[in-house]
Amino acid sequence: MIITVASGKGGTGKTTIATNLAWTISHMQEAEKKSPTWLIDCDVEEPNAALFIHPTFEKEKKVERQLPIINQDQCTGCGVCVDVCEYNALAVAGGKTLFFKELCHACGSCVLNCPEGAIHEISETIGLLQRGSSDLLKFAHGILEIGWSSPTPIIRDLKKWIIPKQPQVNSTYILDASPGTTCPVVESFRGADFALLVTEPTPFGLHDLALVAELIFKEFKIPPGIVINKSGRGDEIIEKFASEKKIPILMRVPLSRDIAEAYARGTLLVDAFPKYKGQFIDLHKKISEMIRERQPKR
Amino acid sequence: MHIAITLADNKGLESSISSVFARCPFYILIDPKTKIFTIEENPAQNASGGAGVKAAQWMIDKEATAVITGNLGPKAHDVLSSANMPAFKSQGGNIEETLKAYNEKELESFFEPNVDAHSGIQK
Repeated sequence: MIITVASGKGGTGKTTIATNLAWTISHMQEAEKKSPTWLIDCDVEEPNAALFIHPTFEKEKKVERQLPIINQDQCTGCGVCVDVCEYNALAVAGGKTLFFKELCHACGSCVLNCPEGAIHEISETIGLLQRGSSDLLKFAHGILEIGWSSPTPIIRDLKKWIIPKQPQVNSTYILDASPGTTCPVVESFRGADFALLVTEPTPFGLHDLALVAELIFKEFKIPPGIVINKSGRGDEIIEKFASEKKIPILMRVPLSRDIAEAYARGTLLVDAFPKYKGQFIDLHKKISEMIRERQPKR
Repeated sequence: MHIAITLADNKGLESSISSVFARCPFYILIDPKTKIFTIEENPAQNASGGAGVKAAQWMIDKEATAVITGNLGPKAHDVLSSANMPAFKSQGGNIEETLKAYNEKELESFFEPNVDAHSGIQK
């Protein structure tokens, strides 16, 4: 079971929900059971789930990508590479080819199409993956190297490293996505069984919730569910949207100073306020049922 | 020979000059002496990235001999300077006045970029 937690808007509480849900699920199961629960922090530009999970890392892996190197002696300045580059990372000026690596998506088109064979590739490290555990919960995250601007390849490698092609029955993967609805979020949803959408009852929360819901309906045929965080005032706007779109509201976490203080200390909600354990167990149950209903009956 | 000027709209010689280099909607390619001109849509205006590089490449391909604009970012500046294409800072005013200032060598040259990358993206 793969559950991706997303929100569109930043700061709604994705990490709060993802970390507490993952922790709760991992502690529901008996320790000897061989079906691990993983929390995978896919917000590789700003990974922060580890601050709440306090994992011990056991393995690391570098993420590399291929970047073009232009041999200016062989280059005739014909401009074929400029024409095939979708990302405007190349230009021919003053008889030589200029390359802007921060624009490059490492697609390799320039290398393939250069009629002079003047472009070859070298590997560059663009990020780091780490995996380990904290008590019964398995944990992994990716870190985009400073100066790079493409998180998607890191997320792709991170998922490939952790999630086997045929995941074990009863194993659970909770993916904490980044804010927004762009490529990194799409990559975090790829292969998921459920979209857990965390929102706050504000016009901004609703606006971005609608964007991420649209992404799910258009691109992924997986069931979505909503969690209203900082709930209490203005929930009606989310309720109206949820009923229009037929997305169930699965859980509410109230707007409370105590919760904010526990968060600021890096404490899990379920540790600071054990009464939430039951609510996260319930959330997991509802999600499992919705996934099961979606699956074709045999 | 012609020079390129960044435009905010397309009203012939009455067009307004845009301060944005790579994400303005139109360019005028105009002979500063004879004032023979064409106005073309900017192919880089809605590029998802690298608009500055694409716009500068377009001007090189159009064989412009100089560019007049308000703001120039680092990548576009790199491309233009590699092609030895001078870039000048517009001072406001219309196309007529700008050409006069250009012909009288009153326009300030961009020896370095004056804005950061992505400055032309509408907020």
